[in-house]
Amino acid sequence: MAAARGIVFDIQRAAMHDGPGIRTTVFLKGCPLRCLWCHNPESQSPSPQRGKSGKIYGREMTVDEVMATVVRDRRYYATSGGGLTVSGGEPTVQFAFCLALLGAARREAIHTCLDTCGCAPWEKFERLLPLVDLFLYDYKATGDDDCRRLTGAGDDLVKDNLARICAAGGRVRLRCPIIPGVNDSPGHFAAIAALAKKPPQIEAIDLMPYHDIGRAKYDDLGRPRPGLATHIPDGRETRSWLAALAAAGCRNARIG
Amino acid sequence: MMIAATTLPKPRGHMAAIYDLASDPGDVAAGFGPAYPEPFDLELAYTEQMRASWHLPPAERELAALESLFPAMLQPIGEADCFAGRIKPPLAGFWPELVGLGYCCHAEDIRNLARTFGIGGEKRARIASMLDFWRGKTTREKVRAAYPRDVEELLASDNWTTEPGIAFPLYRLGGTNLDYAKLLRLGIGGLRAEIREKTLPKNPALAAGLERALDLYARCLRHYADQAEVLVAHGGGTDDEPRLARIASSCRAAAGGGPADSFHGAIQMAWVYALISGTWNYGRADVWAGPYLAADLDAGCLSEEGATAWLCSWWRLMKAYENHYNNRVFIGGRGRPDERAADRFALLAIEATRRVRLNQPQLSLRFYEGQNPELMRRALDAIGDGCTFPMLYNDDANIPAVAAAFALPEGEAVHYMPFGCGEYTLEHRGIASPNAVINLLQALVATIGGGIDPPTGTPAGIPTKSAGGYASFDDLWAEYARVVEAHVAATAKQQKIEYDIAAAEAPFLFLTLLQDDCIARGQAVLEGGSRYLGATLETYGNTNAADALTAIRSLVFEERRYSLAEVAAGCARNFAGAETLRRDLLGAPKYGNDDPDADAMAARVHDHVCRATRVQAARAGLDFYLVVIINNWANTVLGAHTGASPDGRLAGQPMANANNPAPGNDRQGATAFLNSLVKLDPAIHAGAVQNMKFSRELFSRERPKLEALLAGYWSAGGTQAMITVVSRADLESAMREPDQWGHLMVRVGGFSIRFVDLPRAAQHEILGRTLHE
Repeated sequence: MAAARGIVFDIQRAAMHDGPGIRTTVFLKGCPLRCLWCHNPESQSPSPQRGKSGKIYGREMTVDEVMATVVRDRRYYATSGGGLTVSGGEPTVQFAFCLALLGAARREAIHTCLDTCGCAPWEKFERLLPLVDLFLYDYKATGDDDCRRLTGAGDDLVKDNLARICAAGGRVRLRCPIIPGVNDSPGHFAAIAALAKKPPQIEAIDLMPYHDIGRAKYDDLGRPRPGLATHIPDGRETRSWLAALAAAGCRNARIG
Repeated sequence: MMIAATTLPKPRGHMAAIYDLASDPGDVAAGFGPAYPEPFDLELAYTEQMRASWHLPPAERELAALESLFPAMLQPIGEADCFAGRIKPPLAGFWPELVGLGYCCHAEDIRNLARTFGIGGEKRARIASMLDFWRGKTTREKVRAAYPRDVEELLASDNWTTEPGIAFPLYRLGGTNLDYAKLLRLGIGGLRAEIREKTLPKNPALAAGLERALDLYARCLRHYADQAEVLVAHGGGTDDEPRLARIASSCRAAAGGGPADSFHGAIQMAWVYALISGTWNYGRADVWAGPYLAADLDAGCLSEEGATAWLCSWWRLMKAYENHYNNRVFIGGRGRPDERAADRFALLAIEATRRVRLNQPQLSLRFYEGQNPELMRRALDAIGDGCTFPMLYNDDANIPAVAAAFALPEGEAVHYMPFGCGEYTLEHRGIASPNAVINLLQALVATIGGGIDPPTGTPAGIPTKSAGGYASFDDLWAEYARVVEAHVAATAKQQKIEYDIAAAEAPFLFLTLLQDDCIARGQAVLEGGSRYLGATLETYGNTNAADALTAIRSLVFEERRYSLAEVAAGCARNFAGAETLRRDLLGAPKYGNDDPDADAMAARVHDHVCRATRVQAARAGLDFYLVVIINNWANTVLGAHTGASPDGRLAGQPMANANNPAPGNDRQGATAFLNSLVKLDPAIHAGAVQNMKFSRELFSRERPKLEALLAGYWSAGGTQAMITVVSRADLESAMREPDQWGHLMVRVGGFSIRFVDLPRAAQHEILGRTLHE
């Protein structure tokens, strides 16, 4: 299992925002979604890519190679309650590698997070469940039409998997990218608030405000920038989102 | 990750400020006229005194010098000062390190200033005669004149700020931390009794000198008591009266010979003593002042607010002392007899630092597992506020490291005391003056260049093989090591000569009075009195030398993509026409990223110079001789005269600061950076400084993660941290010089990213946000 290979496009150490504590986040290539606001376009294709700048996005690594870096910060995981976060892309696209990596972390007694969009067959989550201490679970749009229009896939898998993870006792933190003018509707906030009322499994909501810093990567990949009618929200606007959630009874949200 | 501070001698240009009478007129109390006599009057009077006294035995001659400088050098009590004690040193005088070592006369500065002031006629002639008198008599000149040939050759120049070179001597008796607790406990009277009992039978001349030094101290205290009383009489009945009356009574009481009897009296006594002793590191102020603070607070005669205001005023006096490379005040740590009282002082000291917002004092916190956690909590609050201070020292790592490096029992190592830019001494037990600098990167560049400094083409150090002559990496390493060891040995010899000459010149009475075990042994501080007489060697370019060696090993000796001659030639041309070579050198692994190879090389360079230095102690006749890797601008100054180097650094660029990665080279995040730092063994040197910058967010909403990060570092053996918060100025610098700021992480929207990778608009957005935080 440790010989499993994956295509990794980044390993970020001392990650402070990808789950509890101080973490190492491993980014796997490949994503089934095509979110209009995607800031990591290099994550979408499952294969390594070369940008116009000459930069290589993605390299093949073994689980052992990745773990050799992950274990180096063990003492910081211990002092902070941190650990490994497997992110993407959508990490379940490289399922065997994702499973092996989480398994290796579990054997090392390192806390694990899986940062997922939820868009994968339940069988995958079922097998990952025992290896994941906390799911960082994306909730991006409400309603099948909106979901399909904004992310390229319907909402049934996302909703079903979330419910089944919770039912199976998985712990979840929701991550909600909020794109002004795109998905900041009252209905979406109401849906987020409703989900948040399903404790104890859903322990917190992170609202992720839109930013456009991925644009240079579209240029480098020779792809058109997403033509999104939106703007970068300021602090006043992001606070209004929290207020909308609070009004709907959701008090465990924060700006992530 | 950098910040500047140093114990190196100040650039000589600053001395002009001594005569800048208009610099702070607001500080001069009404009724006491100008803060200084006419230019050079003090130097001339001092020189006349020394002409008449030069034949006297050392102690008497030193007293003649001190008595002509004090109280003449003392400046008036400032308008808001809560303690008396300001000085402006002249350009000729006697000090351990204030403006030089021992008997000093800065002839060139005096000549230049005399020209600036347009001094002519009879006074000009007197100045010329003064400079004539001092020629060959200054302690510095005597030290250089005493160098044997090998030292003279390897330490050929004293001008380390303006000339290329591998190693340079420094002239000073630096970093003493005197026993203020003893001064306060015994008072002048008690010290006299001890001198009569212990010194007099063994060394009557020294005993007489020490007593006369105490007389002078008392005279300075009376000078300020008189002044404060006159000011009270002039402005009687104003709100200022209690402030001045308290100064008067504290000075009067101390001059009367008694021990300190209040918190105010304690600081007043110590401060005047520090100024006239010419020292500028104050040791564990929480230990020596804490019990007086606690007594006054408990007796209800002082409020915490009142005490904090006094500390703020003391902090401002340190600022006025203008030595921001020193002015160390320590709080916290193991080995404090009255820990509760000390903690009360420590908390107020942190608060004072938050309030005054000055770069001085260099407040530093020692801590250990089990210490009152409030100290660290408040310290991190202050740092998060943008104070930079306190600097943090981990006793649980430092005490065993000092015990090993200095070869002392832990009971003695518990008194380790960083001074200046981060060199360790043993508080009032040891002397650890840093009297030489060595530039390891220059040593490597010269080794590759065949013993020649490439930019100037002049010989550097000792002859070596040329670049083409190295058959293997081990061959190159051996030659580099030989060059470093030759220079280190020369600095150790130089150090001992400097101490011996200084000891023959003067007993340094004010140090001898309060340094263990001088009074009991009946010996002056440098002639056997100090319990430990050691020294430290400032090393620079350590990281760059290591990164250069890593690049050479992989590109030249492993991959064989370049010959060493090609690398040397590229460096000699500052990489003109060799951009690919430079890119490949820059692409080699660098220290600071938790990279096993790069970090192992850094550890090898570190181990080598530390051990090569340590073994010189016995040969030179010192109790210890240890490397310090400290925090100042010497990395920049020396870098300015160091050619392009095989780490990809361009000619003249700064070298890495202290133990840090070269600027912008640590790109794997804070944990990787910290992991690299702890690979350098602290048990073989006398202090290394680690600078780290963290975002404001880590101090606010992510504070637990900051604490966890530091906890991990301390538990891994991290000894020290100087932490700053990323400022708007940092971000602006990063936009201008992205290659220097690759380590700077920021939070954008939903994630963290390297600031320099952001598009311009996003950088501006963060800049705006930082302004408002």
